[in-house]
Amino acid sequence: MKKMIPLTLIFIAGLLGVISFVIPHPSYQVYDEWIRNDLLRVLSAFAVVLALGSLLRVHFDKIKRKRRNWQFSWLLLFAFAASAAIGLFGGVAADGILPTAIGSFRFDIQTLYENIVIPLASSMFALLAFFMASAAYRAFRVRSMEATLLLTAAFIVMIGLLPLGYSISKHLPEFVQWILNVPNVAGQRGIVFGIALGVIATSLKIILGIERAWLGGGE
Amino acid sequence: MTIDRRIIYAILLAVVTLPLVFPSVLEVTPMTPVEKLFTAVDKTTDDKALILDCSYSPQIKAEVEPMAIAVLRHAFQTRKKILVLSLYVEMIGLATRAINQVVEEFNISAQTYEDSIIYGRDYVFLGWQPPPIVPMLGMGESIANIYVVDYYGNQTDTLHMMEKIRNYNDISILVALSGSRIPISWVAYAQNRYGLQVGVGCTAVSGADFYPYYQTGQFTGLMVGMKGAAEYEELVETNYGVKGRRVASEAMLSLTYAHLAIMLFIVIGNIGFFLHRRKK
Repeated sequence: MKKMIPLTLIFIAGLLGVISFVIPHPSYQVYDEWIRNDLLRVLSAFAVVLALGSLLRVHFDKIKRKRRNWQFSWLLLFAFAASAAIGLFGGVAADGILPTAIGSFRFDIQTLYENIVIPLASSMFALLAFFMASAAYRAFRVRSMEATLLLTAAFIVMIGLLPLGYSISKHLPEFVQWILNVPNVAGQRGIVFGIALGVIATSLKIILGIERAWLGGGE
Repeated sequence: MTIDRRIIYAILLAVVTLPLVFPSVLEVTPMTPVEKLFTAVDKTTDDKALILDCSYSPQIKAEVEPMAIAVLRHAFQTRKKILVLSLYVEMIGLATRAINQVVEEFNISAQTYEDSIIYGRDYVFLGWQPPPIVPMLGMGESIANIYVVDYYGNQTDTLHMMEKIRNYNDISILVALSGSRIPISWVAYAQNRYGLQVGVGCTAVSGADFYPYYQTGQFTGLMVGMKGAAEYEELVETNYGVKGRRVASEAMLSLTYAHLAIMLFIVIGNIGFFLHRRKK
């Protein structure tokens, strides 16, 4: 029974999802719209609550048991509480009941996002450029003919896609577009077909209850 | 031959930052995929709108935000109605930022009410509606049903622009800006079912994945990476004389030197590899 209910639900939901693309009749589409516009949105709202609850539980537990780096969990909880309060009560356009400015110092949700989230996230990603340069120097070795061809094509594409490529030759960017439109598309298309067939097979297995890993293991 | 990685980091830091400190705008020649996207946006008629999906995260802001700003400038300059949305909550702040910047640019130089960019008349910010499949499919039937209120809490169907913009039939093109496979989802759901035209702005890393869809015409046009953004900026300024800071174009020199530096490191590494192999 414990497994039958979720398996039955997934079968019905999968079937309804597939049928909605096959039956365009309005009498069925009304139900499809209700499932998508109402039911799915309610489920998403619950999923957000569940995700937040899980996150808070993990960090409270970390603090309680004083696990490694537990101090950062306090920082996370404070940031969570502060941004939630400012976002919920400060308003998206700083027009909520909570004041979000002291003189010219503003701390509404958009200001916090632009001055904290964006610089931090951008900086983390920018570090990758240095790691990539170091990795390129250490790891890209032409040990075979295929590696030579790959590296040559990579150099041509890199230069051709820059403004420098047009300065070297007007035909270089066109040649690069040909590489992207023909050999690249040929290879990508094969991969996409393979992935699509894999997705169809896995989806069918899940809908029909053959694949049950998503149920979770254990008791 | 080994080079201390700190030297590599220092060289890369210099080649990236010096061109930004001493800027010089490189001439950029628009390529066909960007021209096609520009033309498709340009063909938006007065009775239709275009949708801008700002689903790019702060991590890829440097590459993709210039695209959003260029498209917004294009739309506002040519008075094309535009709807802006994000499919994920993390990206809402970036969409807000891009809109606020471009609206301020236009309104600072506006002389009359007609010249100004007015919310509800010229653009609507729909906001975020989870999960992504809900707006992708739901807007095909009714945009106001999916986004009952806009990002600022206004009833969507009371906004002036939305009187005539009901669903995808009233949308000329959707431009999806993303670093992930979201544009493919727009094709799979919105274009497949409702025939919506889709254009894409993406990171350079994910650009190669989208060429099959561009080749078949499923993507009307394609802006790839910061170069794509610079090309669109060039087209907007050349065709409509829109003056504004061209962030992507300014960064082209920095990008060029960084690419050349990485290529040089690879060549040096391989020279060392061959010399070492010969010694053995």
